[in-house]
Amino acid sequence: MILLRKPWIWSWAAAALTFALTIALTSGRGGSELAYAALSFGAFAAIVGLGQMLVITLGPGNVDLSIPATMTLSATLALKVMASEPGTAFLGLVIALAVGFGAGLANFALIFLLRLPPIIATLAASLIYQSLAIWSNRGLRIKPPEPLADFATGRFLGLPNVAWVGLTLAVAVWIILERSVWGRWLLATGQNMRAARLAGVPVERVRATTYVTVATFAGLAGYLLASFSGGAALNMGAEYLLMSIAVVVIGGSSIAGGDSNVPGVWGAALFMFLVVSMLNSYGAGAGVRNVLTGTIVIAIVIAASTRRLRP
Amino acid sequence: MKISKLLLGAAGLALVAGLAQAGSHLQDTSGKRIALSNNYAGNSWRQAMLQSWEEAAGAAVADGVVAAADAFTTSENQATEQAAQIQNMILQGYDAIVINAASPTALNGAVKEACDAGVTVVSFDGIVSEPCAWRIAVDFAAMGKEEVDYLATRLPDGGNLLEIRGLAGVFVDDEISAGIHAGVAEHDQFKIVGSVHGDWAQDVAQKAVAGILPSLPDVVGVVTQGGDGYGAAQAFKAAGRPTPLIVLGNRQDEMQWWADQRDANGYETLSLSIAPGVSTLAFWVAQQVLAGEEVPKDLTVPFLKITQDTLDEKLAGTPVGSVANVMYALEDAQAVIAGAK
Repeated sequence: MILLRKPWIWSWAAAALTFALTIALTSGRGGSELAYAALSFGAFAAIVGLGQMLVITLGPGNVDLSIPATMTLSATLALKVMASEPGTAFLGLVIALAVGFGAGLANFALIFLLRLPPIIATLAASLIYQSLAIWSNRGLRIKPPEPLADFATGRFLGLPNVAWVGLTLAVAVWIILERSVWGRWLLATGQNMRAARLAGVPVERVRATTYVTVATFAGLAGYLLASFSGGAALNMGAEYLLMSIAVVVIGGSSIAGGDSNVPGVWGAALFMFLVVSMLNSYGAGAGVRNVLTGTIVIAIVIAASTRRLRP
Repeated sequence: MKISKLLLGAAGLALVAGLAQAGSHLQDTSGKRIALSNNYAGNSWRQAMLQSWEEAAGAAVADGVVAAADAFTTSENQATEQAAQIQNMILQGYDAIVINAASPTALNGAVKEACDAGVTVVSFDGIVSEPCAWRIAVDFAAMGKEEVDYLATRLPDGGNLLEIRGLAGVFVDDEISAGIHAGVAEHDQFKIVGSVHGDWAQDVAQKAVAGILPSLPDVVGVVTQGGDGYGAAQAFKAAGRPTPLIVLGNRQDEMQWWADQRDANGYETLSLSIAPGVSTLAFWVAQQVLAGEEVPKDLTVPFLKITQDTLDEKLAGTPVGSVANVMYALEDAQAVIAGAK
């Protein structure tokens, strides 16, 4: 029963249930295909979700709404510089990460120097990033270099390469949160910023690194997604705004901060893909699908949060 | 000396204006100012649409046909925001406002205000239902039906179809989908076994198709709405399924993929969508209304169709990563107006 007390178990249970229900429709056929697709597409949601989780852990009011624009900008610039030339994949990666890093610094500068609430600061910044993306390439879709596209859509030991990237990041984030001083500082800041500051935690430094990390993750996700889907598009990040927040909440992290949950993010990322697939497979229309998705998400969040009340 | 210069200038103006009028009953529009109110710029189609406007309207301003033709885009794709933008344009004294609307009904109040202030309002693509405005509409239902008609000629035995829809809740999506379903009702050898929303974006379509494919039987054809065909092809490839007949939507990456497939295995399909240059048609229609031409309130613009025969030519003329385009000139607008009378 100790497993049931883990807030992350609910997202995994929901993912498993939706998977089973989808497969039941075809009496078992296509199971591995579906799992493979869920891991591929779940990886992008998981990467941005991990970043968003770190920010939300910082405490009430902390959220990064510039994730979609950062993804679009870094992917657009990276693919433009690579110009489909083979051998430029690494250069593109560096550019995508650097753009993400820069966006994170800019976000934090707005929050720290101008004392803007993070919601306003990141939303305003995202308009600038999106405009830069439009201005830099006017929405033209440039193909990724062939070897990079092959990597992004390829597999290793039966799992999609992008899922390996997402899993590696998840393990790294988990280790940092659980085993490093910085991770403890982050949790302490999220639980009570004032107490953390008085206890000697360099609160602003923790916040700065967190905002830079989430933006860098967004840059990486944008780079991978553009390589995976054959080019950067101006609206490519759009669905990852709510997605990044949803996977954090469904994954059992506390929306009030100070309590994060790495395995839950992956479970929720898989679930968010599987639930849409399931409802599509059962032929639910767009309206029904949105209502059911909303209802299921609320149910999971309630289940995960009531468990947390009695630790 | 001074007077002769003035006369010369006036003669020059009259000459330029005469070019634009192409008829004696029309008035000079060289002092008129036209604004474009656009609700969204976040995809390649809209970018191509804005660029077409810049080119055509910019040239018209340089030629002295109109005094100004400025384009404005709202940042958040909200009807309230666009309504405020239209009110600003009225205050700024534009003579005509060309609108690609966020909603067919929510802007009606602002549009009515503009009409009452004597401003000509021309809507296109995203049209408005307010009766005082002109509408340049695309017969989206016919576009959807044409896809199924084409499939019926290629696959007389019929089979299972996968439908990729656009953005849920947008009327264009409902229209195209209704046309597709009407086509399937007529050609009952086809059956739609799955329907997903691809949001007119390759990556979203790829994700949605990858999710539904495992539960689908064999699919012979994919009907789409544009901007989603390449993503669908990628999803079929990733699932290790044979590539079905995918109707495409004029995006350069789709046409490039089509040409590659054709060269490799003789793949044949059809591609159709609206040309983003429809904004230039709207510009000329607004100019004609300002010039005093009698223009019917409802105009229809044909969609741009690319076949096996015209693929190479269209592909060569489309910038990498963009959308196949048609620029409309004054004569085209006059032809469309004459056709609607």
